[in-house]
Amino acid sequence: MKRKWCNKIALVLALLASMLCLTGCWGKREVEDLSPLIGLGFDLGQKPGTYLITEQFVKPKKGDTTISADVDRTFSLEASSLREAYEMISKIAYRVPFMGSLKVIVIGEDLAKAGLMNVLDFTQRYAEFRRSMYLVLAKGKAQDILNTKMRSGTLTAMYIKNNIESGDTISTFPTVRLGHYFTVLARKSTAPIIPVIERTKSGDGGIEYKSESKEAQELRIQGAGVFRGDLLSGFLNDEETKGYMWLENQVQQRLIDTVDLDKSQINYAGQVLNSTTKYHVKTIDGTIGLEYKIKVNIAVDEVLGMKEQVSELEWVDLMQEAEQRFTKVIENECQSSFQKERELSLDFLGIGRHIEERNPAYWKTVKDQWQEKIADFPVSLDVQVTIHHSGMSDSSATTN
Amino acid sequence: MEKISTHQFMTLGAAVLMGGTFLLLASGVTEASGRDGWMTVLPGFTLAIPYGLVVLSLLVQYPHKNLLQISEILLGKWLGKSIGLIYILITGYYGGLVLAVLGDIYERSIMPLTPLWLFYLGGLLLVLYLVGSGIEVFARFSEAVFPVIVIGLVLNVLLAIPRMEQGELLPILADGIKPLFFGVLKVMPFAMEYILFLAGLATFLPTGKNELGQLRTGLWRAAFMVGILDMVVVIIQILVFGPVETIRLANGILELGKLVEISRTVSGIESLFMGVWLGALVIKISAFFFMVTWGMESVFNLKGLKWNYLVAAVFMGIALGFTRGPYMLRELAFVEDYLMFPVALIWIPILWGVSCWKKGTGVQ
Repeated sequence: MKRKWCNKIALVLALLASMLCLTGCWGKREVEDLSPLIGLGFDLGQKPGTYLITEQFVKPKKGDTTISADVDRTFSLEASSLREAYEMISKIAYRVPFMGSLKVIVIGEDLAKAGLMNVLDFTQRYAEFRRSMYLVLAKGKAQDILNTKMRSGTLTAMYIKNNIESGDTISTFPTVRLGHYFTVLARKSTAPIIPVIERTKSGDGGIEYKSESKEAQELRIQGAGVFRGDLLSGFLNDEETKGYMWLENQVQQRLIDTVDLDKSQINYAGQVLNSTTKYHVKTIDGTIGLEYKIKVNIAVDEVLGMKEQVSELEWVDLMQEAEQRFTKVIENECQSSFQKERELSLDFLGIGRHIEERNPAYWKTVKDQWQEKIADFPVSLDVQVTIHHSGMSDSSATTN
Repeated sequence: MEKISTHQFMTLGAAVLMGGTFLLLASGVTEASGRDGWMTVLPGFTLAIPYGLVVLSLLVQYPHKNLLQISEILLGKWLGKSIGLIYILITGYYGGLVLAVLGDIYERSIMPLTPLWLFYLGGLLLVLYLVGSGIEVFARFSEAVFPVIVIGLVLNVLLAIPRMEQGELLPILADGIKPLFFGVLKVMPFAMEYILFLAGLATFLPTGKNELGQLRTGLWRAAFMVGILDMVVVIIQILVFGPVETIRLANGILELGKLVEISRTVSGIESLFMGVWLGALVIKISAFFFMVTWGMESVFNLKGLKWNYLVAAVFMGIALGFTRGPYMLRELAFVEDYLMFPVALIWIPILWGVSCWKKGTGVQ
C-alpha cells in the first residue's frame, strides 16, 4: 500500500514537472520586446558577393490595434547573408527583429538579373517566415521603393500589401506569394513571373498629385518581370500582363474599355463581373496545339460618343456590337501576351504545363525541346463576351 | 488482467496506426510515386487488415496470449525468446527515435532555442504516466485525443484550400501504375508498425464470439480511417506545394499550418496545430513503450515501475544520441523499412502457417 502511494506521489510530481518543461521558457520573447519586420528589400551590394538588404520594421504605438499608421523604422545594410544583416540590425535596434510578421519582399531589378535564389533561401528555410508573403519586383532599387515617403503616411510595405490584396478588383497584375513562386519554379517548363512595382512622380503616366517634395510619393504596381529560373529575363508591359491574367484564369473583376481599339465613334467601358478560362489540347493547323476558351461576363457602365437616343431594338444591336468590341480588346491583350512569350522564348503562360496536364503522352515527346518549341507552338483563342446589362439606363441622354 | 473494449480497440488502433505519419508521409510517397503518390496511401495502410485478421485468428486459438508467448508455444522456447528479443530491440530503438522526432519538429518549427532534452523529458513524463496507468487508461487517452487529432487535420486541410494551385494533381497516372508500387512500399512499414503493436496488445483484447466480429470491424475501420485521412493530407500538400516542393519540404503539414489565414486577419495558428501533433506523437511513443514492456515481460518476466524507468532512460538516451535531424530521419526510415517492415512481414505469416500446420496435424 505504501509503495502504491509512493508511486502515485512520484507520478503527480512528474506531471507537475512536465508542466514546467512544456512552457518553452528558453525561447520566450515578450511581444513588446519584438520589432516586427513587415517589408524586406533586396538589392545588389557594392562589394562583390554582398547584398543591400533593406528591412522595414514597425514600431507599434501603445493602444494601437492595427499597424497601418505606425512609425517607420527602415534600415539598409550591406551584408553577405540575411543572418549577417540580422546581426547588424540587432546591434542598432533595441528590440529583437521578428520575421513572422513579414508581409512583402521587394526584389531590386539588378539583383533579379543576377539571381534570386541565394537571398530567398533564408526566407523559405527559417521557420519564422511564411510562404504566404507577397513578392514584388522593383523597377530600379528595392531600397528606393521601401524608402518612399508615401503621401498618405502609410508604411510602404503595408501600402504594397494592401494594394496587392485589393488587386482582385482590377485584376491587372498577378498576385505572387513566395510559396507560389517556388511551386512554379519547380515546374521547370514554366517561367515564373513577379509583378512590378515602381515609384510614380506627379505627372507620370497621366497621374498628377499635389506634392511638396520633388521625390516620388506614390507607388504603382503595373506589369511583371519574367524569370528564367531565378534570373530576370524580361518585362511584360501593362497590356501583356493583362493578357497573362486572362490566359491564366486570374481575372476576377476587371475594368475594361474599347477606347483604344479603333477610331469608332461610339465606345464602351464596363466592369468584368467574372471570367473563366478553359484549356483544350487540339489539332491546330495539322499539329497539336492549345486552345484557350475565355468566357467573360461584363456590365457596361459607360457609353461614350453617343449623341442621340436609340430604340430598344437598336440598343440590343448596340450591346451586341459592344460584345464584339470587348472581345476584340481581350483578344488583343491575349495576343500581345502570346507575342511576348514567343519573343522571350520563355513559357510564362504555362502552356507546357497545360499540355502536360491534358496530354501527358504528347508532352513526353516535346518536353526536352520545350524551350525551342515555345517560339512557334500553335495556340488559338476563343473569347466569348456576354454583356449582362448596361447599368441603370438603356440608351443615352439626348443632346441637341 | 486488464481488457479494452472493442471501441477502444478501434480508436487506439487508429491512433497508433496514424501516429505522426501525416508529418512525413507526403514527402516519401511523392518522392516514390510523383504526383500520383497520394494514390498509394490507402492501399499501403490497408495491408494492416489482412495481417490484423491473422493476429485476431491467432488470438482465437490462443486466448489471452500475445504473439510473443504464442511464438514460444509454436516455435519453441529459444526461437520464441529470440523473436521476443528482436521485438524488444527494434521497438525500443524505434520508440527512442520517435521521441527524437518530437524534439526535432518542435525545435525546427516553433521553439528553436528550447533544449531538445526538455521536449524529450516532457514527452517521456507523459508517456510514463500513461504506461504506468495501464493499457485501459492509454486506450481512454487515445479515445479522447484521436478525435482532436482528426479535427486538427481536417481543419488544417480545409483552411489550406485557398492556397491550392491549379491542376497540380494532373496528369493522373502519366507514368502508368508502376511508380505506385514504390509509393505503397513507403506506406507499408506504418501498417506493419501497427501489426507489431497488435502482436503485443492481443493479451488485452476480448475473445468472445461477438466481440471478435467487432474487433474485425474495428480493424478495417481503423485502417480505412487513417488511410483516407493521410491520403487527404498528401493530396492537399501536392495541391498547395506541387510535387517537387512536397518532396523538398521537411514537414509539409507544418508549412500548411503556417499558411492558414482566415479572412486576412487570423494567422499564425500553427502552434495550435503543433499542440495536437504532440498528442499524436505521444500516443505513438507510448505504444512503442508498451511494446517494449510487453516484450520484457514475456521474454524475461521483467515488469514493474523500475523497468519502466529503465526503458524511459533508454528512450531518452537514444533520442539524445540523434540530435542531428537529417541523420535521425534517415535512421528512422531505415528502422521502418529494413527492420520493422520485414520482421512483421515474415513473422506473422510464419506463426499463422505453423499454427495451421499444427492444427492440421493435431500437434500441440
